[in-house]
Amino acid sequence: MELQLQHLSKRYGTKRAVRGIDASFTPGVYGLLGANGAGKTTLMRMICGVLEATSGQILLDGTTMGELGEQYYAQLGYMPQDFGFYPDFTGREFLMYMAAVKGLSKKKAKFQTEKLLDLVNLQDAADKKIRSYSGGMKQRLGIAQAELNDPAILILDEPTAGLDPKERVRFRNLIADFAQEKIVILSTHIVSDVSYIADTILMMKNGRFLLQGPLDAVTDTIQGKVWETWVPAGEAPEYSRRFSVVNLRHEQGLARLRIINDTPPTAETIAAAPNLEDLFLYYFGETAQEDNQDVD
Amino acid sequence: MLIKYEFLKILRKKATLMIMAASLLLTVFLFALPIMQYQTYDQNGVIKGTAGIAHVKEQNSALCHSLSEEYVTKTIGDVRRLFKDPKNVGYDGSERFLIGAAYWQHIAPREKLLDLIAKTYDRPGESSGYSKLADLKVKKGAAFYQAREQKIQALLNAPSHALSAEQKEYWRHKADKVAVPLRYGYYEGWEILLSSLELLIFAILAICVSIAPVFSGEYQAGTDAVILSGKHGKTKVITAKIIASFLFGLLSFTLHVLAALGLSLAAFGADGWNLPVQIANTSIPYPFTFLQAALVSLGVIYLILLAMISLTLLLSAKMKTPYLVLIVLVPVLFIPMFLMPSGTSGAYNLTLFLLPYRALMPEIGKYISYQIGGLVIDAFSARAMLYAVLTMIMLPFARRGFRKHQVG
Repeated sequence: MELQLQHLSKRYGTKRAVRGIDASFTPGVYGLLGANGAGKTTLMRMICGVLEATSGQILLDGTTMGELGEQYYAQLGYMPQDFGFYPDFTGREFLMYMAAVKGLSKKKAKFQTEKLLDLVNLQDAADKKIRSYSGGMKQRLGIAQAELNDPAILILDEPTAGLDPKERVRFRNLIADFAQEKIVILSTHIVSDVSYIADTILMMKNGRFLLQGPLDAVTDTIQGKVWETWVPAGEAPEYSRRFSVVNLRHEQGLARLRIINDTPPTAETIAAAPNLEDLFLYYFGETAQEDNQDVD
Repeated sequence: MLIKYEFLKILRKKATLMIMAASLLLTVFLFALPIMQYQTYDQNGVIKGTAGIAHVKEQNSALCHSLSEEYVTKTIGDVRRLFKDPKNVGYDGSERFLIGAAYWQHIAPREKLLDLIAKTYDRPGESSGYSKLADLKVKKGAAFYQAREQKIQALLNAPSHALSAEQKEYWRHKADKVAVPLRYGYYEGWEILLSSLELLIFAILAICVSIAPVFSGEYQAGTDAVILSGKHGKTKVITAKIIASFLFGLLSFTLHVLAALGLSLAAFGADGWNLPVQIANTSIPYPFTFLQAALVSLGVIYLILLAMISLTLLLSAKMKTPYLVLIVLVPVLFIPMFLMPSGTSGAYNLTLFLLPYRALMPEIGKYISYQIGGLVIDAFSARAMLYAVLTMIMLPFARRGFRKHQVG
């Protein structure tokens, strides 16, 4: 199975949200990273066929989305960011309804609904109205609906946003379970989620893929640009102003700083192994720090 | 399965239940008003409500007659004789009328019938009461049906009606189909029902309000993305939404109609269902019984309902929230309520009679016709055709609106 994006673009008036993206996806987990406004959600909506591209096309195994029609959608599971539910439906009713939307037979719909309610640990709350669900329960119901048709392509837009750390871990494991032999495209700005699950990182900025490759390969691109140094605590604010400080920790009267910079910030600095968060901040800088309040 | 869930989506909303309950109560109240306010008189004074209805019904039970020329002639002769005795006659300066026992025993129990006969001899624009009968010459017979024909002819030729030759011929032909002699009887319930049908506009509005979120509610709730990315999201789901909306609309409207009909007919009785509508006004051109008139009127109203549901769905598919849908819909339904016709001809009047609120009124006594080339159709047919066509036009656009909706 191969999902191809050919010169995919989306323009809103004069603003170009996605700029001529060419990409090919085969089974695996793709972590789409980018600051707010990078074009992640727009790209995902186009892949899901709920937003028309201004130009370019999407092909599944060589056939365009338009030609495939319902066959394309039959292979798709989508969990949008902040999507709504029907508060007067129970969790079970919602899944049964979504199963009908996805064209499952009544028998299969029942089977999948019960299986997924178990899997996302919502069996006990299955007959309660969704209005009584917590945020985490709604997110689990959201991924369950995306998985109902056992899709070959699973698109998850910010699936862990708003979850507490415990829920996030549970959710990441759930995604990992669902991801086998599927094309999973996962958008998030919670870097740790991506680093745990994704096989391939897609770094998106200004509507383009800036970097793409396995975790090690993409973090290697900033090898020699991540530094750790100790400075007197009083000087830490000055360093924060001058450099991109990823982390600051006070240890025995000194401030331990993790800095991203093309050159060593001080003479007494040691090079550190870059991680995904460093990479994120290297490319998105202050924008990312503002947008990315819950970066781990 | 999709239709069931789409139906549940409409029905489960608390707002839907509240709106429908309020609308049903309002309909019951509005249709109960004529019962509560009903009043008639006898020698002892006013008789109100159901007691008044029972009184009129009892009086009318003696009037189940065929309005043959002989019967009408005899009836007119009876009234003329009463007027000949000066003791029976009062005068208010402009009109003579019967007083005392002559009125209460001989006129009051059948005043409506006498008025009907008297009005048949009126010229267009006149509206006489039973006292006109005293001045009619009936030595050679009442010529009642001839008078009816002459009145219809005069109405058709009235300059204010501005009817073309084809339209006059159309109405003449229709009026000729009315079987005579007419059979008279009690028909109070049907008359009140036919004159109250426009009150069902509130039920139509309530239904439209309830289905306004069918598409736009998905946009507002953010569920559009998951639906449109589903296999049947752009096909069967839309069909299911449309069917569920119609199902909900038809069921809840029928509930309102049953309440309205049930209330009127329970209070006034269903008597008169098989009597011709001409016993309410002899110049009515439609060859209907009261039941047929009610059914045809309701048939047209159901078509209006379907068109309004279709319009609501179209707006719902195109607009971002249900509130925006209502901002457009409410004026469409209610502005015609404040527009008054100035006749039955001219573009303004003919358009007004087709607009939702006015189109709910049967207007069976009016010669409202529409002409396209040589083809002439009456108001019922024009409304039925217009609203059926509107439904067929709007639904594909509603489908397209949701299918092409861009999640943003």
